[in-house]
Amino acid sequence: MNGGSVPALEFAGLTKRFGENVAVDHIDLVVPPGSFLGLVGPNGAGKTTSLSMAVGLLRPDSGTAAIFGRDVWADPVAAKALIGVLPDGLALPDRLSGREILLYLGLLRGMSREVVLQRADELLRVLELDGAEGTPVVDYSTGMRKKITLATALLHSPKLLVLDEPFEAVDPVSAATIRTILQRFVAAGGSVIFSSHVMPLVERLCDHVAVIARGKVLASGPLDEVRGGQPLEDAFVHIVGARAGGAEGLSWLAS
Amino acid sequence: MARVLIQMRAAIMRRATSGRRWIGILLLALLVTLLAVTTLLAGLVHYRYPGAGADVVATLSLGWLLGWIAGPLLTGDDAALRMDYFKLLPIPPRRLARAMLGAAFANVSLVFSLIAFAALIALGARSGVAAAFTGVVATALDLVLAVVASTVAVAAFGPTISSRRGRDFGTILLALTITLLSLASGLVPLIAKRLTNGHSPVLAAVVRILPSGWGAVAVDAAGRSDWGLVALALGGLAAAIGALVVAWPPLLARRLTMSARGGRRRTHGSAAAREPVLPLTPLGAVIGKELRMYSRSVLRSVMLMISFLVGVLVGVISALGGKTEGLPFAGLLFTVIAAACFTNFYGDDGTSLWLTLVVPGAERPDVRGRVWAWFLVVGPAGLLITIVFTAISGQTWSWPWVLAGEPALIIGSAGLLALTGVVSVNAPDADGGPSPARVLKTHLALIVIPVVTLFPAAALLAAGAAGHSLALRWLAVPAGLAWAAWLCRYSVMRAQRRLQTQGPEIFARLRPAS
Repeated sequence: MNGGSVPALEFAGLTKRFGENVAVDHIDLVVPPGSFLGLVGPNGAGKTTSLSMAVGLLRPDSGTAAIFGRDVWADPVAAKALIGVLPDGLALPDRLSGREILLYLGLLRGMSREVVLQRADELLRVLELDGAEGTPVVDYSTGMRKKITLATALLHSPKLLVLDEPFEAVDPVSAATIRTILQRFVAAGGSVIFSSHVMPLVERLCDHVAVIARGKVLASGPLDEVRGGQPLEDAFVHIVGARAGGAEGLSWLAS
Repeated sequence: MARVLIQMRAAIMRRATSGRRWIGILLLALLVTLLAVTTLLAGLVHYRYPGAGADVVATLSLGWLLGWIAGPLLTGDDAALRMDYFKLLPIPPRRLARAMLGAAFANVSLVFSLIAFAALIALGARSGVAAAFTGVVATALDLVLAVVASTVAVAAFGPTISSRRGRDFGTILLALTITLLSLASGLVPLIAKRLTNGHSPVLAAVVRILPSGWGAVAVDAAGRSDWGLVALALGGLAAAIGALVVAWPPLLARRLTMSARGGRRRTHGSAAAREPVLPLTPLGAVIGKELRMYSRSVLRSVMLMISFLVGVLVGVISALGGKTEGLPFAGLLFTVIAAACFTNFYGDDGTSLWLTLVVPGAERPDVRGRVWAWFLVVGPAGLLITIVFTAISGQTWSWPWVLAGEPALIIGSAGLLALTGVVSVNAPDADGGPSPARVLKTHLALIVIPVVTLFPAAALLAAGAAGHSLALRWLAVPAGLAWAAWLCRYSVMRAQRRLQTQGPEIFARLRPAS
């Protein structure tokens, strides 16, 4: 059911307005199963808003989001069982230690205690959080919070990972660890969609890319198709239609 | 530079007071005016015991000075002019210190304090022109002391807002102040009686020996033409102000260069190592998480502490005055406060609701788990306080009252908390503390929760008391329980359904504006 041609994630006409501002404007996007898709766009392009609608955290004004064919808003229980989520900048029950959060979430998902503890051990070790396993999350650094949230996304072995800025504030060594984990996940048949500002990272990891700006998907497809032979960064600036500023004015700076 | 700071503060305050907030500010202003006028009247009235007037005014001055020091500490900092704003500016600390101190004098609160401290002038006027003039000087010095002490206290004791743990300090202070204020209503008449009768030389000596009492000492001495003591007291006040002004720039410098206070790091033993006590189900997981949050979250522990202190001490204070009728109801008071404090289940946890929303079918165990955890934390304690205090009080008539009230209150509240938690969601304010709307909700809940949970039992008890029917009074026990059980079940089901259908909308209220 999960294999074949059913998209891991599919947006159809997804729209969200905040007052006058149309944050996401009739987005259509397909994440093929087994693909590693990078969602890139300038600040305020609608990346977080789109991803929130894909995981059931934000109700769309119109349009649908489906995970392996299950509509997130019509059949939330089936859809949510298939995804692991790493949101950007949201709180955790921060007086709990990393291990306690994983145990809580595992039991909440109906997993057995033994399985949860064994997976939690492995996740904490691989993400190098085992040294801080008794420390409450309130005392974690930003990068450590990112890592423990990633662990919560992986714990139940989902089919699709939806990650919002997973590499932000993460140190280079941990970033390499996370890259390896995600690449193994995709190699084993999992699918990933993640948002980022960092083009070289997207180029290095992803086989698919979607460029989003002002609430619309401007380009999407296999990486090589979208960048058309040039570095993704150049293609991005071209697609978004922006002009890299910084050359004019400011004559007084360092004068 | 002080002018720039004053303009900046005025601009921030203008923004902050727009909209509905001004109603709260108006109410606060009314309350403070009332307190100020009461203080002034305390200086005007005649006391039979000589020196009692000075004692009373010294006590009230202490209250005002404490208010000045505690106020900004409670809001975390000067709510408008945060020191953190100035951390990166290349301004010498001494110059910034002078400017901030100057700006501190541009404060509306000074008007209220002037009315209050004018009690010193009123007190002096009773003994003649010289004493009245001494009162004028003392009033001015007290006002300056209040402003300077308030400014310095923030730099000395204020938490650093930037640290997540720093906020805990403010929360604890706020809790203690609220507790003390609510208990003061019981203690003040006692203290006032002792002071005006001249029965408590120790208390009088204490309030006079503190700097806040020196103004009153000077006015009292002027009335007796003891000019040496007048000079000593007023000179002492001036010296205290001088010392604080000298201490202020280095304190500010330390504060500006201080990084987030790195408190002790507490670690928690591994949950895996312990034998599980709770069922290994989604419901058990939520109860376990919630019980840990009750014991570790400062906000939650402080709210439980306030409930306990107020609930128990109000009865105990009146019992010390010889009235034990209130003792049996200590458990009920504790439970009502503990319920009112936890009417914001989802709001207080902030955006961590996302964890519940992304797990399929987690809404039901989440609502139930929170209800169970509150019930397990508050219920046994409330019941124990009720039984023990009723037994010691010797008020045997009260047994049907408390046994009908306490269980119904615990069970009914548990359900109401779940429903209130999903219907009225108040996100924490920018500093992570409770928002004004959340505080208002807590106060309303103090009235609404007992009324809703207890009215069937109360009606039977009242009818039983009026008709002298013991049977009717005891009937209130099962009737109260039955009502509370239905209320709890109904509220929990409604709460579950709302979280299931409105989860993203509730979450949107917790998320900073997108």
